[in-house]
Amino acid sequence: MQELRRIVGDAHVLVEDADVIVYEQDGSILQAMPEIVVLPADVTQVSEVIRAARRAGFPIVPRGSGTGLAGGAVPAGGGVVVSLARLNRLLGVDYRNRTAELEPGVINLEVTKGVAKAGFFYAPDPSSQAACSIGGNLANNSGGPHTLAYGVTTNHALGVEVVLHDGSIVWLGGTVPDVPGYDLCGVFVGSEGTLGIVTRAIVRLMRAREDVRTLLAIFDSMDSATQAVVDITAAGIVPAALEMMDKTTIEAVERGAPAGYPRDAEAVLLLEVEGVREYTERALRMAHEVCTRAGARQVRAARDEQERQALWKGRKGAFGALGTLAPNYYVMDGVVPRSKLPQTMRAVAEIAEQYQVRIANVFHAGDGNLHPNILFDIRVPGALDRVIEAGAAILRACVAVGGSLTGEHGIGLEKRDYMEWLFSKDDLEAMTRVRLAFDPQRAFNPGKIFPTPVSCGEVRRAPARIPEGLWI
Amino acid sequence: MKVMDRRTLVARLREVVGAPHVLTRPEDLVVYEQDAFLVAHASPDIVVLPGAAAEVGTVIALARAAGVPVIARGAGTGLNGGSIPVAGGLMLVLTRMNRILEIDARSRLAVVEPGVVNIDLSAASARDGLFYAPDPGSQGVSTIGGNVGNNAGGPHCLAYGVTGNHVLGMEVVLSSGEIMTVGSPAVDAPGYDLAGLLVGSEGTLGVITRITVRLLRQAEAVRTLLAVFETIDDASQTVSEVIAAGIVPTAMEMIDAVVMRAVEAAIHAGYPADAGAVLLIEVEGHVQALPGLMERIAAVAKRHRPRVLRQANSARERELLWKGRKEGAGALGRLAPSYYLHDGVVPRTKLPEVMAKVAAIARTHGLVIGNLFHAGDGNLHPTILFDPRQPGMLARVVQAGEEILRACVAAGGSITGEHGVGIEKREYMRWLFTEADLQAMRRVKDAFDPTGLLNPGKLLPDVMSSGAQADVKSPAFSVRPRAGLWS
Ligand SMILES: Cc1cc2nc3c(=O)[nH]c(=O)nc-3n(C[C@H](O)[C@H](O)[C@H](O)COP(=O)(O)OP(=O)(O)OC[C@H]3O[C@@H](n4cnc5c(N)ncnc54)[C@H](O)[C@@H]3O)c2cc1C
Ligand SMILES: Cc1cc2nc3c(=O)[nH]c(=O)nc-3n(C[C@H](O)[C@H](O)[C@H](O)COP(=O)(O)OP(=O)(O)OC[C@H]3O[C@@H](n4cnc5c(N)ncnc54)[C@H](O)[C@@H]3O)c2cc1C
Repeated sequence: MQELRRIVGDAHVLVEDADVIVYEQDGSILQAMPEIVVLPADVTQVSEVIRAARRAGFPIVPRGSGTGLAGGAVPAGGGVVVSLARLNRLLGVDYRNRTAELEPGVINLEVTKGVAKAGFFYAPDPSSQAACSIGGNLANNSGGPHTLAYGVTTNHALGVEVVLHDGSIVWLGGTVPDVPGYDLCGVFVGSEGTLGIVTRAIVRLMRAREDVRTLLAIFDSMDSATQAVVDITAAGIVPAALEMMDKTTIEAVERGAPAGYPRDAEAVLLLEVEGVREYTERALRMAHEVCTRAGARQVRAARDEQERQALWKGRKGAFGALGTLAPNYYVMDGVVPRSKLPQTMRAVAEIAEQYQVRIANVFHAGDGNLHPNILFDIRVPGALDRVIEAGAAILRACVAVGGSLTGEHGIGLEKRDYMEWLFSKDDLEAMTRVRLAFDPQRAFNPGKIFPTPVSCGEVRRAPARIPEGLWI
Repeated sequence: MKVMDRRTLVARLREVVGAPHVLTRPEDLVVYEQDAFLVAHASPDIVVLPGAAAEVGTVIALARAAGVPVIARGAGTGLNGGSIPVAGGLMLVLTRMNRILEIDARSRLAVVEPGVVNIDLSAASARDGLFYAPDPGSQGVSTIGGNVGNNAGGPHCLAYGVTGNHVLGMEVVLSSGEIMTVGSPAVDAPGYDLAGLLVGSEGTLGVITRITVRLLRQAEAVRTLLAVFETIDDASQTVSEVIAAGIVPTAMEMIDAVVMRAVEAAIHAGYPADAGAVLLIEVEGHVQALPGLMERIAAVAKRHRPRVLRQANSARERELLWKGRKEGAGALGRLAPSYYLHDGVVPRTKLPEVMAKVAAIARTHGLVIGNLFHAGDGNLHPTILFDPRQPGMLARVVQAGEEILRACVAAGGSITGEHGVGIEKREYMRWLFTEADLQAMRRVKDAFDPTGLLNPGKLLPDVMSSGAQADVKSPAFSVRPRAGLWS
C-alpha cells in the first residue's frame, strides 16, 4: 500500500470500506469487496502499480466505468482493483485516415462527441455509452443497436497498448488494419481483463451518413414480428439498427415515459437505415412492404429528426421504465442465428411460464441478440434463485439452436460455469494456454471467463444500481 | 524415445493415407520446392496428401514422434515463401481435401475443406445468389486454407474486408495431433478469439482442416468505371479524394504505364498504352443508388485531368476491363525473364507521396518497376522486373524491395498488405514491432506449438540476442534465382 501511494499519490489509493464499497459491484447482480482500489494516471503508473501488486501477491482486477453486466469488474477473489478512470484523454484524431487514439478511461460517447463536428462518429454504441469506457468496451467486445451494420468493438479496434503481468508494455495490433503477425489485438479484445490492462488504443472512425431513416412497425403477434426480422434481411436490406420490444416492455414504456406505442400490441420493431438518400428511401419502402406482408398492424415512418427521436425515445427509455413493473430485473444476453429467432422467442415465453417469472424482451433483433429481462422482487424469498434458474434455461435454449451465451455483455463471473455448454474441454484448454502465455500466474481478473470448480472469495448477489441516462 | 527412422516413418505414413499419397522420390518432390516467392526454394523430405482431418492428426503425431517439421501447403501460390520447407521435413499438401461440405443459404454460410479452390466456392454459392467475398488475384487456383493461412485480400476487399472478416470458425489440428474447433457460426463467440488468431498465422499454429465462412448476397447491380490519367500522381490523388469524399467503392485498382503496356501487348483489354496510369473503379449496390454514386466519383476524377472516363456498358465490357487487371501479373512475364512482386501498405492519404518514392527508388537502382495494385486500400504491389542471369542483379532487386517497404513503414504503413510475412519479411517484422511485442507473439506460438514443429522459420524473427541492434542486416532467405512462373 505504501508503495502504491508512492506511485500514484495518497489521494488515488483507496482502502477504507466506505471508499472501496463503490467498487464492489458493476451493473450485474454480483458483489465482492476489493482490498485496495488504485487510480493510476498514466501508463507508467499502471506498469508500476502492477509490479507492486504482483510483488505483494495480489490479484489485479481492471475496471473502467463499472457498467459491465456480467460481473467482469467485480473482484471475486479480493485483490487490487485498478480503475482506469483517470486515463481519460483523447490523444489524437487523424481525420484523413479516420482513426482516433485514446486512453481507456475515455467515455464512449465522448469519442463521437469529439469528432461529430468534423462529420465522423465512433460506431460501437452500447446503450450504456453515456457512462461506459472505451477500455471496458474493448475488454468486453461490446456492441450496440448499430452493431448490425457496423459490427462490434473488435471490428473497430486497430491496436492496443497493453501492460502485462510483469509490468512490461506491449503494442498489440497496428495503427493500420491487418498488420502482419498473430492478431493479438483481436485476441485481447473480448478478453475481459484477463490478459492485461489496456492503456491506449487506436480505433477506427466512420464518416457520418448522408441520410438516416427510421420506421416503427407494430405487430399483433411476436411470431410475425420475428418473422419480419428474418424477412427484412432475407430481402437484402441491411438496416443500421433493428430493435424489438415486446408487450411487457411496451407496457412499461407507456407507464414510465410514454412514446405513443399502442398498449395492446404484442411487439414493436424499430428499424433504421443509413446511407445515401437514393438508398435509404428505397430501403425504407422495401422494409415497409416486408413488415406489412409479415402482418404488421401499422407502420410509421419518421418524417423528420424530431419524429425520429420520438420513435427512439421509447426504445431508449425501455430499460429504465421496467422499474414501473417490478422493483428488480435481471437482464440476460443470449444470441441465436437470426433464422432461429421466432422459435427462440417462443422458448423464452415457455420458460417464463415454467419458472413463473415475468419477462420483458427488448433487444437487438437484427443480430439475433436477445435481452430477456426477468422481472422480480428481491424481497420475495427464493425469487432470485428462480430468476437465475430461468436465466440459465434461456441461455441453454440459445445454445441448443446453435447460438451462444452472450451477444455482447461477456461471460465474466456470471456465466463462467456455462462455458462448458459451448466449448469442449480441449477448446477451453487451448484458450487457457493462450491465457497463460500472457498471464502465467493468472494475476489478472482470476475467476473470470473460465469455469472454476472452486469458488473464489466471497461473492454476494444483489441488484445493481444503474446510473440514470443509460438504456439497454 | 527412439527417434523413428525415415523408412519406418514413410511406411507408417503409407498405412495412414495410402501409398499413392506419400511422395518421396526427388522427381515428385521437386514440384513442392517452391511457391510463388520466386527467389527461394528448398525441398521437402516427404510429401503427404491426406484425405481427412483424422489422417492429418495421425500424420502430425507421427512427424512429431519422428522429430520432423510439418509444413502445410495449399496451392503454393503464396508470395512470401510461407510454404517453402526451409528446414526440410514433411509437407502436408491439402489439395485432396477439396469438398464443399455445406452451403447454408438461409444463414449465409458455407463449410469447406481447406483444399477448396477459392473460386469454386463462389461458383457453387452463385446458385443461391450468394458469393464468397475475398477474391485474391490467384482465386482461380489458390485454396481457402491458404487464403486463411495468409489472411488473403483481393480487389473487392476494399468494401468487404480481407479473409479474416469472413471466417466464422474452423477445425484445426494442433501440433499434438489433437483436433480442435474454434469460433462459432453465431458471431462473436465468447472467450478469446482463437479463430481470429489462426487467420494469418501462416501454418505456424496448426493445420486447418475445415473452415466455416460467411457468404454474402450478390449485389443487385454493379458499375465499373475506367479512368485514364496522364500521370500516376493524378490517379493517386483521385483515389485519396474519392475516399475522402466518403465514397467506398467495392474496388479501386490502379495499373501504371509499365503494366498497361504489358497488358495491351498480351490481351488487348483496351487500355491506352501511352497513358500514365488507369484506375478501375467499381461500385455495387441498389440499381437506383449507383448512377448518383458514379457521378460523384467521376466528378472527383475530373478534377485530375483524366484523358478518358469510360463506363462499362455491358457485362462483357466489364469483364474485359477486369481481365486486364487480373492478368496484369502474368502479362509482366513478357517484359522480363523474372520479377519480384512486392506488397506494402500505406495510409491512403500517403499514396501520392509513396508512389513518387517508389519511382525514385527504381531510378536510383536502375530498375524497371511496374505497379498494379489495390489502390483503394493503399495496398501497393510494386513489381520489380529483372533478369536473374545478370550478375549482381538480384542483390539490387532485394535492396530496392527493402527500400520500398521502408518507405511504406516510414509513411505510417506496414510491410505487407495481404501477402503475409513467410520467410521473406520475417526480419522486417522488427520495423513494426518491438522485441517485447514479438515476444508476446512467440509466447502464443509456444502455447500452441511448444516444440516448434509447425512451419519453422516463418513469420516471426528469431529472438534477438541482447545487445543486438534492432535493424535488418540482410534478408534471411537463401537466394536462389529461378525463372518466373509465368515466363
Ligand atoms: C444500462 C446498461 C446498458 C448496456 N447496454 C449495453 C449494450 O447495448 N451493449 C453492450 O455490449 N453492453 C452494454 N452494457 C454493458 C456494459 O456497459 C459494457 O460491457 C461496457 O463495455 C462496460 O464498460 P465499463 O467501462 O463499464 O467496464 P467495466 O464494467 O468497468 O469492466 C468490464 C470488463 O472490462 C475489464 N476492463 C475494464 N477496463 C479495462 C482496461 N482498461 N483494460 C483491461 N480490462 C478492462 C474489466 O475487468 C471487466 O472485466 C450495458 C450496461 C448497462 C448498465
Ligand atoms: C498471380 C497471383 C496473384 C495473387 N493475388 C493475390 C491477391 O490479390 N491477394 C492476396 O492476398 N494474395 C494474392 N496472391 C498470393 C496468394 O495467392 C495468397 O496468399 C493465397 O492465399 C495463397 O493460397 P495457397 O492455397 O496457394 O496457399 P500456399 O501458398 O500453399 O500457403 C500459404 C500459407 O498458408 C499456409 N497454409 C496453407 N494451407 C494451410 C492449412 N490448411 N492450414 C494451415 N496453414 C496453411 C502455408 O503453410 C503457407 O504459410 C497472389 C498470388 C499470385 C501467384
